[in-house]
Amino acid sequence: MDYDVLVVGSGIGGMESSIKLADMGYQVLLVEKEASVGGRMILLSKVFPTLDCASCISGPKMSTTINHPNIKTLAYSEVENISRNADGRFNVRVREKAKFVDWAACTGCDVCQTECSVAVPDQFNADLAPRRAAYIAFPQAVPKKAVLDRAGTSPCIAACPAGIKAHGYVSLTRTGKYEEAFQLNLDATPLVGTLGRSCYAPCENGCTRGQVEGTVPIRMIKRFVADQHYAEADGPGVTAAAATGKSVAIIGSGPAGVTAAWQLARLGHKVTIHEAQATAGGHLRHGIPAFRLPKDVVDADLANLDALGVEIICNSPVSDLQALKDSGYDAVILATGASREAAWTVPGAEAATVVSGLAFLKDAAASQAARLDGKRVVVIGGDVVAMNAARTALRLGASEATVVAEAAKPGALACNEVEYTEAVAEGVKVILGTSVAEISAGSAATLHCVPAAESTAAPAEAEDSESEEGAASAAAATSAPAAAASTLAADVVISCPGLEPDDSLFAELAGVGNKTRIAANRRSLQTKAKWLFAAGDAASGLSTITRAVGSGRRAAHMVDRFLNGQPLDGFELDSKLSTTKHRDVLGRHSRITHRDPVTGAVNLVTNPTDFSEIEAPLSEDQAHTGSGSCLDCGVCSECQECAKKCPAFAIDMSQRDKLTDVEVGAVVVSTGHKLFAADLKPEYGFGTYPNVITAMQMDRLLAPTRPFNTVLRPGDGKVPDRIAYISCTGSRDKTVGNPLCSKFCCMYSIKQNQLIMGALPLADVTMHYMDMRAAGKRYEEFYVQARDMGAEYIKGRVAKITEEPNGDLLVRYEDIDNGGGIVEASYDLVVLAVGIQPNLDVEKLFADTPLGLDEYYYVAEPSAELSPGQTNIPGVFVAGTSAGAKDIVDTILHAGAAVAQVAAHLEHHHFAAEEALV
Amino acid sequence: MTDKELTPDTPAEDRKIGVYICHCGGNISDYVDVEAVRDALVDEPGVVVSTTELFACSDGTQHDMIDAIKEKGLDGLVVASCSPKLHQVTFRNVAKRAGMNPYAYTQANVREQASWAHQHDREGATEKVIGLVRSAVAKTRLSDELEPLRFDTVQRSLVIGGGIAGLRAAIGLADIGLEAVVVEKAPEVGGWIGRLGATFPSDASGKEQIASMMAQIKDRRDITVYTNAELTSKAGTFGNYTVGITLHREGGDKELSLDVGSIIVATGFDSYNPDEGEYGYGMDGVVTLPEFKEMIDAAPAVGRLSYQGRPVRSVAYIYCVGSRQEAGGNEYCSKYCCTAAIHSSLLVGKVDPSIRQYHLYRDIRAYGKFELEYGASRGAGSTYVKFADDAPPTVEKLPKGGLGVTVTDLLTTSHEVTIPVDLVVLVTGMVPRENKSLIDLLKLPLGTDGFFNEIHPKLRPVETVVDGVMIAGCCQAPRTAAESVQAGLAAVAQSAALLKKGYAELEPLVALVDPEKCVGSGECLSVCPYESITMIEWDGRKVASVDPSTCKGCGGCVPLCGVDAIDLLGYTDAQMRAAIEELISVEGPIVEAVKEPVS
Repeated sequence: MDYDVLVVGSGIGGMESSIKLADMGYQVLLVEKEASVGGRMILLSKVFPTLDCASCISGPKMSTTINHPNIKTLAYSEVENISRNADGRFNVRVREKAKFVDWAACTGCDVCQTECSVAVPDQFNADLAPRRAAYIAFPQAVPKKAVLDRAGTSPCIAACPAGIKAHGYVSLTRTGKYEEAFQLNLDATPLVGTLGRSCYAPCENGCTRGQVEGTVPIRMIKRFVADQHYAEADGPGVTAAAATGKSVAIIGSGPAGVTAAWQLARLGHKVTIHEAQATAGGHLRHGIPAFRLPKDVVDADLANLDALGVEIICNSPVSDLQALKDSGYDAVILATGASREAAWTVPGAEAATVVSGLAFLKDAAASQAARLDGKRVVVIGGDVVAMNAARTALRLGASEATVVAEAAKPGALACNEVEYTEAVAEGVKVILGTSVAEISAGSAATLHCVPAAESTAAPAEAEDSESEEGAASAAAATSAPAAAASTLAADVVISCPGLEPDDSLFAELAGVGNKTRIAANRRSLQTKAKWLFAAGDAASGLSTITRAVGSGRRAAHMVDRFLNGQPLDGFELDSKLSTTKHRDVLGRHSRITHRDPVTGAVNLVTNPTDFSEIEAPLSEDQAHTGSGSCLDCGVCSECQECAKKCPAFAIDMSQRDKLTDVEVGAVVVSTGHKLFAADLKPEYGFGTYPNVITAMQMDRLLAPTRPFNTVLRPGDGKVPDRIAYISCTGSRDKTVGNPLCSKFCCMYSIKQNQLIMGALPLADVTMHYMDMRAAGKRYEEFYVQARDMGAEYIKGRVAKITEEPNGDLLVRYEDIDNGGGIVEASYDLVVLAVGIQPNLDVEKLFADTPLGLDEYYYVAEPSAELSPGQTNIPGVFVAGTSAGAKDIVDTILHAGAAVAQVAAHLEHHHFAAEEALV
Repeated sequence: MTDKELTPDTPAEDRKIGVYICHCGGNISDYVDVEAVRDALVDEPGVVVSTTELFACSDGTQHDMIDAIKEKGLDGLVVASCSPKLHQVTFRNVAKRAGMNPYAYTQANVREQASWAHQHDREGATEKVIGLVRSAVAKTRLSDELEPLRFDTVQRSLVIGGGIAGLRAAIGLADIGLEAVVVEKAPEVGGWIGRLGATFPSDASGKEQIASMMAQIKDRRDITVYTNAELTSKAGTFGNYTVGITLHREGGDKELSLDVGSIIVATGFDSYNPDEGEYGYGMDGVVTLPEFKEMIDAAPAVGRLSYQGRPVRSVAYIYCVGSRQEAGGNEYCSKYCCTAAIHSSLLVGKVDPSIRQYHLYRDIRAYGKFELEYGASRGAGSTYVKFADDAPPTVEKLPKGGLGVTVTDLLTTSHEVTIPVDLVVLVTGMVPRENKSLIDLLKLPLGTDGFFNEIHPKLRPVETVVDGVMIAGCCQAPRTAAESVQAGLAAVAQSAALLKKGYAELEPLVALVDPEKCVGSGECLSVCPYESITMIEWDGRKVASVDPSTCKGCGGCVPLCGVDAIDLLGYTDAQMRAAIEELISVEGPIVEAVKEPVS
């Protein structure tokens, strides 16, 4: 047997049970679901009728509990299942929840909490104030250790192929930490400005806010932080680790190559990039036109590499990989991209009027393209190169630019939907479902067009594709599939047959995989030449910049492991939790404030004439509003601020839940209670009127660790003069299904009445009650004391509360003492004395033998009178409010009674075992 | 740890004391320059560690302290933080865990005594803290290695009172291997409950409950019940008391002496006895609740309820008789009576549903699940009439026979009504039992309400200031039978927590007489509230001697000794003098102000 007793829940009942049993010499396992022991009592201000500070009398109990040699406390853990064995002992499965903090290292210093960029309602402050996603339960927590609240991986992060913590930089931007947001991007790639413009933002498709009013403008926020950084700072603000003495060659300076270089250089490796072209950047430089990605942005991003000492050698084509390796590199990453145009076999394609799309864009990017004034340009192909070429042609003066594509509908085009719609908006004509069969040369070319094979074979489907709707309306006027053979005249023909990796370099050494990709392990990106790794489009075929960045990052990580002699499998590059579901996020928020979506402004004019950037940046306000609408899906945004600032290096995002099975001799259920959800009495307006609060909230306002350092009303922060208490909220009330009296509300109200009169000497305190149930030692005297202090007690129920324009509350009540009339009174603040509700979690504890509950769902005590605390299961006992309404002293006595019988049970089994031996 | 033995004579500079100054979040550091305090302590003789901590009590800092004690060989520890009430035990345990003598730990209370007290005087508060910490260091320098007093515990408990709480406690004790001895003053066990029929809320018969427990007890060798018996003497200390029991037997009293580890007092209550004329008490037809309950228990299951041979057709219950009285009377609420009266009315309804029942109350305190009884009673036809606290009902004989209860009903028209009834039931509360000899014997303090007082009404409800003496049931405060059983069992748990591990430890912070110096005046004997000092023969003369097992270390005897022969371990005269010297040697306005005689 691992422990004599399992105690579930470490409120005052659980602590009392554990300490008493441990003092008797039993080994106790105490499991607490929160990060601190103490339950609800430690959160109270003072306790009745002694007016002791709750922390001061509960704190030492917590300390005794956690330091007791016979008690093993598992905080932040949950009992998953308890089953009773044939011998009467219990098998218990405990889930130690991942804390994402190494508690052995954590000193409880608070830094993570201070740095955290995510605020969520603080359950330890009755939701009155926010806490952080990284938090220490409360100031007197025992153990005083931080946990990271993670509900999963936020969908935006899960969606990012580049491994960028989208949620993280959004939350950092929201808190004004622009540079930190920029740096978080730099953790993945130096191409922050570039991705801020040219990423297709799969993160935004995952955004939960997108399910409400519209996505958080995640990409635009990235651009915002990049612009902020580059406007103010020289260099990335990052230094490399100490030199490792290893050197790596990277072939190609596109997104994959520079990302790999950046990652490796940060780790201290010496990196040299060999670029065949005269300038660095690959497609970023040559393929994407400046109006979409200004070249100074690319320059700024690439300059980040300089700061880490990465050398980019341009005009340096590599022709022999082995020779390159042998020239002094420990590893080589091939990141040559999809740099080759696919073979194109249209008759007449060799005509002088036909130019390559890629070459055209490269010339245009280098400002070396000829003007096309008055010329009719036809672009053949439906990919991103085609769209960019057509739009570039317009800017070079073409009288018309027509795209001829085989795709039957816009959604089937090989480009992104935005590229298509923007092209159309700028005046590009797109002819869909059409193939060019032949080009006849002449002073002007004639294109012989036929319906594309696929469009005839598969006629356009009904418009059921959601991505099409926006595009279709804009495109209707300009795009018409050729119904039959036709011709098209063109002064300039631009061919865009699609891009593919150039396999000539690696075919021999590494082999060619699918299509012309390099043969490499998909996960490790290692080729059969162990020192040769591949990254980006060379490994994946034509893809997106963001995927190439992710691939470069992966390759760099693998190369680093390779250089360190570590295995390339058996680990996760980005250790992710399961992705948070939209419905869980929306369900978690009690209320979601409406936010108008922030969208970028794109300046689209017909027949544009210049290459200036068409998309306007977000203003700081927009960046704030946009990032402020984030719903914090995963709770923790993974912004890494805690990890970076933790002086004890205790943050460990790789932690996972741990399941442990233990055997125990007996069980004490002390899972406590819930409080009545006051919004179930809509006539009292809780949740609607901000100045109607619950008594638990008032206790927090009065506690020494209170959130606002005074008693104020939440609506406007005014210090209240007239405070009303409404007793029996959710108790003795069949309309909410609870005819029971909650026992402690009268007394805690009287306590609060006295404390308020102490804290706000000028305030009037009135309580509307049914019966004043001051039943207990010194309780009646305590009630009399409150009356003597000036609190007013009015017998009669409250029917309704309405809010006045100034936030005051009109309470309509029955005044029994004075003739029973219906009276209205105005108050500044109304406190609802909410009652107790059963904690239904107990039901889930026992899988095989159901734990008996009474008709009100409290744990049943079949022989409550002579054997209080015994349940229907032999060896299982209940202590405290799990079994019904109790105040603290009742709980102490009940726990004492339970543990006396726990000990009897254990002794009985002990004796039985000894007899068996004899 | 150092190898050499430490004594108060170890030179100050040879001590290795660690000083930890706590921020207490901001509780201290917001008002005190803790860095200045640290710096002021760095060069104190014997101080080898002086550091500040955000929360000295945090687990992390505790571990740091343990490391420092082990690595630097600390032989003294001072934490400047909150009140020792809060964390003295915490830090003593830190010392213990690290292998340092826990009594070389001193807590400087700089939060309650400085930061909280001088929130508007940072300089002054800082100066005072420096003084307090230096003072604590001075005391620590002179600390001696003390060992707790350890002794075996007797695996037997005494239960005084054979009511439901006492009997259940006895069974509970025996169930966990502690022999139980029950002493009951009356000829029969069972107390109040043993005389009752159906009790609330389950209708279980009180008589049967007691009978079933007695049947169990009869067969057990580990429980002995003495009736007609009284506790007449008590000596020793918790874990090992010697008690004398007098058995009143035909043919003369017998004396019995027993060793017991703990004592559970479950002497119960008396029912309030109304004065003649109080709500008509003494008139024909006016009875108390216990009297009424006897009538109900004697009534047939279904049939007629009769009073002195006359059928009862209507009953008025007057609540809060003897409870919630004006200052000078019984101001407390008796807690059980509302539900008891409601339950009685339900029983009456079962006997004869046609009986009209009126409940004249102030507040119905049917707390928790008892609310269901209240609802059932209303459902069964009982009428509830609320009267104002200052306008109690009156009872008079009606001219045409029967009784008239006159009351102003707040729930309806607030008009005065006179209700004619056959019977008036005074819902009487509980009063503390007359028990002077036991109270004197056990030295148990009473509350203002006359019931026994616990150590702490919230967290330690069954413990008393006398270690090893527990109180359970209605002798502590009015409550229900089930609640008394819970308290009885809680006292069992507390007894087991004290006794089960087989030994107990006492703080060694006790008075010690130096027989060389003692002149045998015997003056100290007269002030010791615990009778711990006796005169013994020593070296041919009479000197005082303190029994460390009963001495509480209150220090009352120390100043009384004219020849300074008594010292209090852990707080020796030398330590206190050194502490005071340090405190007043700090330079600054506060100390100056204190030194300045008040003009």
